Amino acid sequence: MGSTGSGGAPPLIEAEHIVKRFGGAIAVDDVSLGVQAGEIHAVVGENGAGKSTLMRVLAGILDPDEGEVRVDGQVLARGTRSAIDAGIALVHQELSLVPEMTVAENILLGAFPTKAGFTEYKELKQIAADALEEIGVSVDLDERVKRLSVALRQFVEIARAVARKPRVLILDEPTATLTPAETDYLLAMLERLAAGGMAIAYISHRIPEVFRICTNVTILRDGKQVLTTPIADITPEQVVDQMVGRELKRDLATHRDAEPGEVVLRAEGIIAPGVNDVDLQVRAGEIVGLGGLVGAGRSELVRAIIGADNRSAGKVALTVGGKVSMLSTYQSSVRNGVAYVPEERRTDGLALTMTVTDNIRLPNRKQLSKAGFMLGGKIKEVAQQLADKVGLRPPEITREAGQYSGGNQQKIVLAKWLGRRPDFIVLDEPTRGVDVGAKAEIHRLVKGIADQGTAVLVVSSDLPELLELSDVIHVMRDGRITGTLGRADANEKSVMSLASGESEVKA
Amino acid sequence: MSETAVVEDKQQVAPPEERQAARILKWTSENGIFIFTAVLIVFALIFVDGFSSLINITDVFHRAAPIGIVAVGMTFVVISGNYLDLSVVAQVATAGVILIAVSNSYGIPLAILAALAAASLFALVNGTAVGVFKANAVIVTLSTTFIGLGLLRFFSGGSIFFGPPDGPIRAFGLGKIGPVPYSAVVLIIMTILLSLLLNRTNFGFLVKSFGVNEQATRLGGTNTSLVIIGAFLVTSVAAMVGGFVLAAFSNTAVSNDGVGYEFEALAAIIVGGTSVFGGRGSIYRTFLGVIFVSVLTNILVLFGIGFGYQQVALGVLIVLAVSIDALGRKVSKR
Repeated sequence: MGSTGSGGAPPLIEAEHIVKRFGGAIAVDDVSLGVQAGEIHAVVGENGAGKSTLMRVLAGILDPDEGEVRVDGQVLARGTRSAIDAGIALVHQELSLVPEMTVAENILLGAFPTKAGFTEYKELKQIAADALEEIGVSVDLDERVKRLSVALRQFVEIARAVARKPRVLILDEPTATLTPAETDYLLAMLERLAAGGMAIAYISHRIPEVFRICTNVTILRDGKQVLTTPIADITPEQVVDQMVGRELKRDLATHRDAEPGEVVLRAEGIIAPGVNDVDLQVRAGEIVGLGGLVGAGRSELVRAIIGADNRSAGKVALTVGGKVSMLSTYQSSVRNGVAYVPEERRTDGLALTMTVTDNIRLPNRKQLSKAGFMLGGKIKEVAQQLADKVGLRPPEITREAGQYSGGNQQKIVLAKWLGRRPDFIVLDEPTRGVDVGAKAEIHRLVKGIADQGTAVLVVSSDLPELLELSDVIHVMRDGRITGTLGRADANEKSVMSLASGESEVKA
Repeated sequence: MSETAVVEDKQQVAPPEERQAARILKWTSENGIFIFTAVLIVFALIFVDGFSSLINITDVFHRAAPIGIVAVGMTFVVISGNYLDLSVVAQVATAGVILIAVSNSYGIPLAILAALAAASLFALVNGTAVGVFKANAVIVTLSTTFIGLGLLRFFSGGSIFFGPPDGPIRAFGLGKIGPVPYSAVVLIIMTILLSLLLNRTNFGFLVKSFGVNEQATRLGGTNTSLVIIGAFLVTSVAAMVGGFVLAAFSNTAVSNDGVGYEFEALAAIIVGGTSVFGGRGSIYRTFLGVIFVSVLTNILVLFGIGFGYQQVALGVLIVLAVSIDALGRKVSKR
């Protein structure tokens, strides 16, 4: 695959046929790209497309399994140190600052100027001040980082990269947490840095930003390089098309003929960290999907609805058989018939070193005990039934949950909640990290749950999954629902453009 | 392995030789206590003069009983993943003083009620700070040790309380069945009861489940704060019983009683293979751990080895047992 920049000058940094695997999964599959001095090169793709992995390879944090990184035509030795020495700096997606240290200390973290082993604070503050001046941000050098806003922390993070006088600057979704005004400021700053001769690689989900500042764009899908092209040769719509692939047709045969019943869950005015005044309804027998990008506030919304995290405002009513319960705490939700399959199944969904039986026992213990004493025979029977029902393989309920593969682990999580015959079930990324076969089985199970009259709310970053399961899709962005799509008008493009704000380019 | 062997996630599975090592370490930390205790007792019977005498065996039981009662109770806090309850020291002393002082003036039933009230108070403070506010258990219980002992010294004036020389407390303290004193019978009954509580009830299940994974337990619809308060309550009630048994044996009580019990109980629990990381553990094995630690101490005494060296031995034992526990966990995680 070609890796040429727009002009004739040789690229400052080049990635040649990079392959990176994690265990059996291939995260980056033969990707090549080059960035010239003065160029801002966008790397776009859906969640899990391999963008962050590729950038970490460029920055020397991960060693590629195949291929090489070159700077000025010289092959870069492995390891972070040589990348730093070659002038490559990475601004991480997750903030990596030390909250208890000052702005100046954070900017020079790991590179304190010293004299005979003692820190030279004067010099330290001077270098930090220079870096902040270069990016045009004024902030008190002695302020502790924990007192700064998220946006200012993001800028301190960039100052930290700039203080090392890099020639190549890599940014991983720097605008994810910024407001529009802050984003404008950051984009202008990047243009200034590029004009000064820096080569910038820029990951973003936000298509409008890419079209504002980038000169070239590389599109990744499932770890593969779909396209690298000058930005002038492509439209925002085409970028989205390439990100999601061309198979936009859906297999309508798998759709359920759902006749949704009464409204089971009614959430009104939900406000919580990351969630900004959302109303939501789910009917009996209906599957409602929540689409959007990572950080759009979907998990935060569902956790606030069921009380797993606190909400600062909003009412949630659960109506079952004419009886209305107001859900406040998580325990009251579970008591009233809510089930929750969390995003992080290994840390939140299962006790990995406990047996399948014990994991199933946890939410069902009241029905499986008498006066607080556990009924030994009954739990075995119930656990075995549930394990068979979800198709656990092998169906050995005395094994530890941690010995099963990801897909089977997720089936155990489903089994434990199915024992309660929930009226409302929330599934957050139900098939993340699950192989194709188990994924299809889990989809069948979820549809089966809805067919029995349970109200289902699914969060998924996997577009085909979201489209296959959902009767209605709400798309979230910046903590709000920005659009609702019925079966007729939901497709990968319409979801992605609502999620990324692509439609705003034309507006 | 059967034909239906699972397809395991490649990233999480250690190579076979490391899994083998993990299995051996896990097996040692969980079952080693049976072998170690048996070997130690056989060694003592053959090589240690005076070990097998009835007087000595009764003496071992007398020493083991109060520590053991504290240890089987404290196992609940350890399994919940909250390390230990240091304040058992203060609770043992409080129970002793209450038993002797209150029963001298108001009778035994009221003394028992007063001790239960004190136990509940300790459990409520420890359990609320740890379970509700998520404070570190070591620091919380270190502090409640100071609070408890301070209050006890204030109210008791630091004086020694003597029970009546011919009362029921004295009779219980010195009574025995063959070479087995009543106190050891209490230890055995406590071991059986608490083992049932841990293994046969929803409460016990939740304590283990919390120790394995706090988040998953909470998201299973559990009031985890109550579980932790409950674990501390079991510990406190056991510590009160331990304090009673200790005071009954000597028929005296003073605010210094029970010094070192937190450490000896912890030694018994850890040597018994209960993981300080929580989630794994057994009351029966704690019982064996108590026997092991008590016999070891007794052997050292019979060999004429001084108290200083006994302390050293106990410290070394805990470091070894904790290291095996941690190493097993590390290897199996890799």
